[in-house]
Amino acid sequence: MNNISKPKAGEGTTLWLVKIILGGLVIAFLVLHFIVNHLIAPGGLLNYQAVLDYYSNPIIPIIEGLFLIVVIAHCLLGVRSVILDLNPSKRLLKILDIVFVLGGSIAVGYGIWLLVILTART
Amino acid sequence: MSQSKWNITLVVYRQKTGGHGFFQPFPMEVDPDEYVLDAIERVWAFHDRSLTFRHACHHSTCGACGMVVNGVEKLTCITTIRSVTHDGGILKVQPLRNFPVVSDLVVDMSNFYTRLEQAHFGQVAALKNADLAYEKPKYREQEANNERLVDCLECGMCISACPAALTSTSYVGPAILAAIQQTYVQTGDPDLLDCADSQDGAWRCHSAFECTAVCPSNVDPGWRIMDLRKRIVGNRVAKLFEKNKEKVAK
Amino acid sequence: MKNQPAPSKFMRWFDPRFRQMGTWAFILNRVTGLGLALYLLLHLFMLSKLVQGETAYNDFIALAKTPVIKVGEMFVIAAGIIHGLNGIRIGLTSFGIGTRYQKQMFIGLMVVSLILIAGFAYVMFLGE
Repeated sequence: MNNISKPKAGEGTTLWLVKIILGGLVIAFLVLHFIVNHLIAPGGLLNYQAVLDYYSNPIIPIIEGLFLIVVIAHCLLGVRSVILDLNPSKRLLKILDIVFVLGGSIAVGYGIWLLVILTART
Repeated sequence: MSQSKWNITLVVYRQKTGGHGFFQPFPMEVDPDEYVLDAIERVWAFHDRSLTFRHACHHSTCGACGMVVNGVEKLTCITTIRSVTHDGGILKVQPLRNFPVVSDLVVDMSNFYTRLEQAHFGQVAALKNADLAYEKPKYREQEANNERLVDCLECGMCISACPAALTSTSYVGPAILAAIQQTYVQTGDPDLLDCADSQDGAWRCHSAFECTAVCPSNVDPGWRIMDLRKRIVGNRVAKLFEKNKEKVAK
Repeated sequence: MKNQPAPSKFMRWFDPRFRQMGTWAFILNRVTGLGLALYLLLHLFMLSKLVQGETAYNDFIALAKTPVIKVGEMFVIAAGIIHGLNGIRIGLTSFGIGTRYQKQMFIGLMVVSLILIAGFAYVMFLGE
């Protein structure tokens, strides 16, 4: 029956829902990030020592790490959605998916590495 | 009709097979309360018999005369000249966007009609299913199963206005998705939801709602696409529970 | 035959002429989304200054306090607010909530955006 738009590894219900849910989480984390980083944190994290003191609280790296994953995933799904609008070929989309997954993993890995380093210095 | 005449320049897109597109001006005197289609017909009748354009009913029921008038999709048979230009002004008419041009103002709608057929689009529906779900019923309860023609004229103007349809030939477009929603409401066929559940279906829409803005009828394609999304997600969740029930039963 | 959908026509996404309010929402969401994606990359790069040590980070903060960077950051904040609030509109309408009032929702959310952006601008430029 499904012969108008054949099923593709593009963006069906699941990916779209994930993008929207992640978007909601980004808003929540961003509000938290702003309040904590710039209003609650002493000195507003405007010098190195303030940053180290801030990251000495174990909950902070966890929240920031989760924020990092959520924002990178939402960002990459969004950019992928824009690319889908350009009707890429199946092959190109597969290549781009690999680039996105690799790029996202590297960005998340790098961010978590930064968090680990900072936490170790506190 | 008004007494005073306007002098306007009708600028029409021309393109014949194998040729380049260009705009041809036709200065003319018009009655501002005439319709854009009247002006185009006058060009054909008195100036250039090679001008090709679609028209049929002349009263907004067939959807044949949809064109881009001064940048906006309009049904030219019900668009007065007064509403789109002024005395001494320009009236620019182009074919619908996102469809291949066959000749001048005529576009190739065959792919569109094929997709409508594949969506099992029915032009007739019971009153209770033909109206938009959020509107107050305009019929009595005992008339609910009486049938009427559905609102979609198959004019294609929504696809012309859609930003997603601008860059992708495989995106089915608002009219098809609205047709799927309309047919699903009538038949409840879950295959239709699977049809729309793809990157070229309901999930390609970016909520610009230009389709709703230009629809000359009462289809509200934007609303129907969002309703379709809701139904697709609901259907997926229902299937998930069904699977779990089967597992438990085993 | 020309006039067909084509990826090369993507610049027309950003042309609001002759279009309605929904197109403004679409354009704003796309521009802010892509802008924020670029900013995310820069932000991750900026955070490497923390690992490079106290001097590198503090030097960077000194740069961040310059007017040009502050204006840039203001654009980022504006983009984040607009993209986030319009995203709420998209999320709600996609589940049939307020679909008929999406225009009014967009106007309302953009007014809220302007207020928030003005608030942030006040704190950033006129605050202590």
